[in-house]
Amino acid sequence: MRQFFGMSPSGNLEEALHGLKDPQLIMLLSNNEQFEDHVKKLESLFPGVPSIGCIGMSYDVRVVEKGVGVIAYYDGINAVANVLEHVSVMPVKYIGRLQKDIHSIKSSGRDTVCIDFCSGNDACVLTTIYSALQRSNISLVGGTGDGGKVSANGKVYEDAVAYALIKNLNGKVKAYKENIYHQLGNYRFVASGTDKANYRLGQLNGKPAKQVYQNILHVTEEQISTQTFKNPFGKINGNDTCIISIKEVSGNSLTCFRQVNDSDVLILLELGDYRQIVRDTIQTIKNDFQRISAVFSVNCLFRYLLFTDHHYMKDYLMDMSTLGHHAGLVGYGEHYNNRFVNQSMTCVVFE
Amino acid sequence: MKFRKKSQQEEKTLDPIVYVVESLQGYRSALIQSEVDSLHELSMVRHSFGNVLHDSESLRESLSDFEQTFSSINTVSAQFASVKDNIFESVSQVQGKVETLKSSSLQVANHFEEMQSTFDTFQLSLNEIRKCMGRIVSIADQTNILSLNASIEAARAGEQGKGFATVAGEIKSLSEEIKNLVSMVDSSVGEVESGTDQLHASIQTSHQALEESLTKVDETYAMFDKITQAAGGAESVQTEISGVIDDSKSKLHTLSSFFEKMKNHYDTVMQHINRVSSMGTTKSAMYEDIDNMMAQIPPIIDDYNAG
Repeated sequence: MRQFFGMSPSGNLEEALHGLKDPQLIMLLSNNEQFEDHVKKLESLFPGVPSIGCIGMSYDVRVVEKGVGVIAYYDGINAVANVLEHVSVMPVKYIGRLQKDIHSIKSSGRDTVCIDFCSGNDACVLTTIYSALQRSNISLVGGTGDGGKVSANGKVYEDAVAYALIKNLNGKVKAYKENIYHQLGNYRFVASGTDKANYRLGQLNGKPAKQVYQNILHVTEEQISTQTFKNPFGKINGNDTCIISIKEVSGNSLTCFRQVNDSDVLILLELGDYRQIVRDTIQTIKNDFQRISAVFSVNCLFRYLLFTDHHYMKDYLMDMSTLGHHAGLVGYGEHYNNRFVNQSMTCVVFE
Repeated sequence: MKFRKKSQQEEKTLDPIVYVVESLQGYRSALIQSEVDSLHELSMVRHSFGNVLHDSESLRESLSDFEQTFSSINTVSAQFASVKDNIFESVSQVQGKVETLKSSSLQVANHFEEMQSTFDTFQLSLNEIRKCMGRIVSIADQTNILSLNASIEAARAGEQGKGFATVAGEIKSLSEEIKNLVSMVDSSVGEVESGTDQLHASIQTSHQALEESLTKVDETYAMFDKITQAAGGAESVQTEISGVIDDSKSKLHTLSSFFEKMKNHYDTVMQHINRVSSMGTTKSAMYEDIDNMMAQIPPIIDDYNAG
């Protein structure tokens, strides 16, 4: 299989599609103003080719911030794209579509991945989608787009999740999640007083969440929303830690970028040696694969901002390109199987 | 979500499912609250047991320090043995010197003996000289009488005896001179005898002092023997101390092994606590999945009811 990446900083779709021939799956990463037009034009240029799209920045060895990026696969894949609607209330109503697509793609599990672009209610969406995927051992990698819109097969949807099932005909696929944070101190909290609809975290071990966060990190209320770059929360899930970013202070509660549930076990995280962690991830992938055809990743917007602030983004993309053809999306939340996380990188590697 | 009144027409609706879902949601909330409490308690257990583990580790470290202290005592005790060895060596060296001193003193004593013998011979020789001088005086007296007789005979002879009388007078003078010389020699011999007596007395005194010194040397040697014996006694005390320390170390080691075993048990318990805790965290993800799924049922039923 092969991966194509085309881009136009000015938002010229034809320019971004220059050189693309016989794609078997197209992923459109557009901007707020041109999204609908790009979706329509893409469908007219490649009618019948499965496609998904969302609003967001894209990259290969450099980032396209406001224009348009296109990632496409060809030569050695089977792909199908579709959408689940009404994700804010009942994505499961459309689960039959996914079940049918899983059946049609004839996955062996280790050769297929599901890539999704979601407009919201991510945790519920991932629960729903992964309930079907896990029965066929299919991994999921994806992210949240901007503007509450996604596209699938030439049509724009609001309140929906667009997904693509990609079967690699020439080898395996494997999904990864990278966390550049590690535990701060030995703090361990049981969350309570949560409002999952508004992503609010009320109490930690029975004490107001804001007060606990401030007491430990000695920051003012105003500093909390930026302190999350250095010290987000981590939700413990067995041996895994899922990062939860803090959005803002709401009274004595903290509003997050992901839902927190009563009985969630949280820890405080601190930024680690991200350059080394990235090198370790690259080495892990190299150890797992003798030959890499393509890497698709979703990097959190917060990571993009952090890496840019630390003048590391360019080096990061160059480092990732040592794996082979690497392209991806800057998301507002990252998806890894049934886990919705913040401030992370998820990726899928095709043999 | 409204619950419709029961009627023949309403029996065909999905409202009972909504009721069940709402009830399940209530149970789920109660279950989650219970889970929060359980996790809190588990967290307390984990914390408390962490303290137990920490204290146990501190105690084990203290015991280890104790073991180290015993080792230090043993080292110091061994240093004491080294000091004892130094004493042995020093005493041995001093005894060697004393032995040499004694040997030298005995040689001096032998020389004194030889001197005494020489003095005795000298005394005998002086006595012989005195005897010879007595005989010389006696001969001089006889010569004097003879010269007197010769003078008398010369006077009788008259003129012919004048020369003989002169000779007899000179013989008398000679014998007088001999007597004077013998008297001078006798006086000198007397002085020699007197000096010799003093020297003899000094030699006797020195000899006596030397003998006393030799006695002291022997006593000193014996005292060093006692020091060596005492140091040897200290060695047995050190051996006893070392034995007690070894015994204590052995018991301490047994105690440490016990704590090591206890620590392993504690670690196992901690692993179980952590595993339970980890399982608790996966449950929270499951609750989220259940919640996410259950939350979709009422809208679906609404959607279904709406036709």
